[in-house]
Amino acid sequence: MSETNLYPGLNLGGGHGEAHEQAESTVFGFWVFLMSDLIIFGILFASYASYLDPIGMAGGPGPQDLFDMKSVAIQTAFLLVGGTAYAGVSLAVKYETGRAKVIGWLLVCATLGTGFLFFEVKDFIDQAGKGGLPQASGWLSSYWALVGLHGIHVLSGIIWIGAMAAQILRRGLDDVVKVRLSMLGVFWHFLDLIWVGIFSFVFLVPLL
Amino acid sequence: MTKPNTGELDAEDGAREEIRRYAVGFFASLLLTGGAFAAVLSALPTSWKVVLVCMAALLQIVTHLRNFLHLSFSGQQSREDLLLVLFSVCLLAIMAGGTWYIMSDLGGRMHQSDETGMAAHAMPDP
Repeated sequence: MSETNLYPGLNLGGGHGEAHEQAESTVFGFWVFLMSDLIIFGILFASYASYLDPIGMAGGPGPQDLFDMKSVAIQTAFLLVGGTAYAGVSLAVKYETGRAKVIGWLLVCATLGTGFLFFEVKDFIDQAGKGGLPQASGWLSSYWALVGLHGIHVLSGIIWIGAMAAQILRRGLDDVVKVRLSMLGVFWHFLDLIWVGIFSFVFLVPLL
Repeated sequence: MTKPNTGELDAEDGAREEIRRYAVGFFASLLLTGGAFAAVLSALPTSWKVVLVCMAALLQIVTHLRNFLHLSFSGQQSREDLLLVLFSVCLLAIMAGGTWYIMSDLGGRMHQSDETGMAAHAMPDP
């Protein structure tokens, strides 16, 4: 790295003066929140793993009956590309290539996130139709809690992206907006990271 | 607090380096994701598949942390950030690992229906 990093995540860099300094404590605070979120997800992963046996499924439908690997692959592609697309936002802010580019990349992220949510909700509806409701078994409760919580995070990410786009239009790319965009970036990439755990351990391993 | 480095590369070189970093992360993630799905569809023994999927997931998480979240362990960022992440992972390992271990052990003890299982946990005769 060519410059001093003050916090984890893509730094705004010394050229942004006060925003770069201000970002240190604000983004650090946001990492504290993300780490508590990580613990919530981790515990839900642990309960999912604990319920992943015939007793946890309590005679209800199991992974083979409910999971559709093709849909999981589509969702994974949406989220991976959507996560990487945030690089466009971060770099456009850092190198000041203009407001239009920042908003354009934000819209790409939001669109791909919406595509992900569409397929996820479609899967949830299919599963509910096959009797895979949360109350059917302990395993299904933990499945809906874990994957549903991730889905709600993606939805809040999309709402946050919309709010940031509106703020850029209203106030321009000032220091406050730059710091907020840094936090949104960390959040958006973090959701991608959680999904890696979900598609591997929630969907693929039980299907083996 | 450290002052921004004055002898840094010019902006264009920096941008190219950062785009390269994201691209490497993206293609590595694509490869690892594809690898995990391919492993599931392959004809390998089940235990191999589980190991492959777990390996791919761990490698991809490291890739995301390095290339997308720019988390580095090289000591350039402040010590608090590193400690925060390490402490959270440590807590998570204790809580999640402990939950899984206790629940699977309990499940094994409570639901063993065969004779040997009952005998193994029976109280010794007085």
